[in-house]
Amino acid sequence: MTLAVPPGASGPTPERSDGCRPAEVTDSSVDQAVDRLHVEYAGRLRPQLVVRVVRDCRKDLGGSPVGALPELVERLARYRLDRHIA
Amino acid sequence: MGYVDVSAVRHTLSDGRLLLDDVNFRVGEGARAALVGENGAGKTTLLRIIAGDLVPEAGSIARTGGLGVMRQFIGSVRDGTTVQRLLVDLSPPAVRAAWDALEASELTLMETDDERSQMAYADALAQWGDAGGYDAEVTWDTVTVAALGVPYDRCKYRELNTLSGGEQKRLALEALLRGPDEVLLLDEPDNYLDVPGKRWLEDRLLETRKTVLFVSHDRELLARVADRVVTVEGGTAWVHGGGFASYHDARAARHERLAELRRRWDEEHQRLVDLVRTLQQQAANSPDMANRYHAMQTRLAKFEAAGPPPERPPEQKVAMRLRGGRTGVRAVMAEQLELTGLMQPFDLEVWYGDRVGVLGANGAGKSHFLRLLAGQDVAHTGGCRLGARVVPGFFAQTHAHPEWQDRTPVDLLWHGEPDRPGVDRGRAMAALRRYGLAEAGDQVFRSLSGGQQARFQILLLELSGATLLLLDEPTDNLDVLSAEALEEALAAFDGTVLAVTHDRWFARSFDRFLVFGSDGRVYESTEPVFDETRVARAR
Ligand SMILES: Nc1ncnc2c1ncn2[C@@H]1O[C@H](COP(=O)(O)OP(=O)(O)OP(=O)(O)O)[C@@H](O)[C@H]1O
Ligand SMILES: [Mg+2]
Repeated sequence: MTLAVPPGASGPTPERSDGCRPAEVTDSSVDQAVDRLHVEYAGRLRPQLVVRVVRDCRKDLGGSPVGALPELVERLARYRLDRHIA
Repeated sequence: MGYVDVSAVRHTLSDGRLLLDDVNFRVGEGARAALVGENGAGKTTLLRIIAGDLVPEAGSIARTGGLGVMRQFIGSVRDGTTVQRLLVDLSPPAVRAAWDALEASELTLMETDDERSQMAYADALAQWGDAGGYDAEVTWDTVTVAALGVPYDRCKYRELNTLSGGEQKRLALEALLRGPDEVLLLDEPDNYLDVPGKRWLEDRLLETRKTVLFVSHDRELLARVADRVVTVEGGTAWVHGGGFASYHDARAARHERLAELRRRWDEEHQRLVDLVRTLQQQAANSPDMANRYHAMQTRLAKFEAAGPPPERPPEQKVAMRLRGGRTGVRAVMAEQLELTGLMQPFDLEVWYGDRVGVLGANGAGKSHFLRLLAGQDVAHTGGCRLGARVVPGFFAQTHAHPEWQDRTPVDLLWHGEPDRPGVDRGRAMAALRRYGLAEAGDQVFRSLSGGQQARFQILLLELSGATLLLLDEPTDNLDVLSAEALEEALAAFDGTVLAVTHDRWFARSFDRFLVFGSDGRVYESTEPVFDETRVARAR
């Protein structure tokens, strides 16, 4: 079980219920995933695509506990990137 | 804060016996109400009705505030339940539901790692957060550190059956007392707790702002904590609005009042019957009297239809007869005995006839020591022998008996065991009657109340012909009367007794004490020692 992820463990909370959400989602969960996937898919996918997919994943996963985001984002992005290659 | 309101509740057992009728009481906000009564009176059943596990046949329960429930069997969990599962189960329904959903989505994710299950997992995590799951996990960490001395992450997969009874209880109590529920139902929370643990419980119950309804047979706990006492007896319940100090007088007064009301009813009844009889004779000669005779007949019929007031509850009687027999002078000899990882080596000689109280904190290894003497497989070094003709008889309520669950006491007695001859139904019923178990003779073991199960196990000991009694917390679950009966039986027992106990009052009836210290040292004492602190051992 991958629990005990403290809700505010990484970075600021990007989404707010008051609606003032940044136009472009950038937080450490995106940066970390981009860094790792960038290396992992080097030579197979364009870096811009990796960044775009990760950002989309982050957006789609909005509302998830912040502490769990890095894992969720990376996992979903990897799944989508793999499908892209296949 | 919350309250509980019980009104006009009735409950009939599956065998048709009316267990509870017209039960009315209220546990107001912030109250600390004790629920007392004999073994089998219906306390646990009543708590289950309040908790909503059982639907009352009549009447209703009203309550506000989240409800936290600790069941009587916690402390004797012997299945594969983990610490994590226990903590989840003690959480509010929303946390429980979110947990189950999360667990299910993790399982799905392990099988199919596609986008859909990933989104479902993310969603379940979000719900977990919304339900207060992360906060709960922070609390659980505090709880396991307080109860077991280790962080949640290090013990969450640990099975409860590797924890001592006191540790299980402590864990559940810490979780409920620190949790969000405002109303707590605690069924014998003090069982298995060591004496510092009982004192801790008393203090926590005194300082909590939660509303508490707790079952206990421990008179010290009742005296310190309860600010009102609900008694289940005579098939119903009544409330004493004061503490335990004035309880006995209140109960005696109530019983006298009931007896008095009943006596008056009987007198009035007799008077009406006599009148009817006289008028009947006079009516034979006078038509005027015939009218009065019929009127009086109607009056008697109405009086009888209204029924007599409840009788004073009968005094329960329990007589245990532990016989024993003469053995060699040295009953138990231990030389440089060390239970692996639990304590330092110690020597011990117990003589025929000794009454040895085994004391010490929860988790110190006392139960392991008793099990070793009982001939069970317990890792140890050094030597340990029993004397000539010493036949150990072991009693532990934390011992699971899966093979008994679906059999009745009469059946279990009839069949016997290798060390215990079987007895016919007549003898079985006679013995059960002495233990206040006659009515339960044909019920399956699993349906007996906690105290009835304990009594039955003492009866098995009586029939086994043991000459060395090894008793592990024998008074837990027993009501005051049965604990006294056990004490008398032990006094009359011809043989040797070693008993692990945290019961301050029961311990005083022993003449030697073997103390399992918190530093791993085992030493003898002529006086009971109750303040050995908790064992700090790597777990
Ligand atoms: N299925 C059943 N059939 C018949 N009797 C039952 C059944 N289940 C429970 N009982 C009886 O209901 C009575 C009440 O049980 P309960 O567990 O409520 O007692 P209790 O007051 O909590 O006792 P204790 O102090 O021993 O814990 C007992 O006499 C028990 O044997
Ligand atoms: Mg009970």
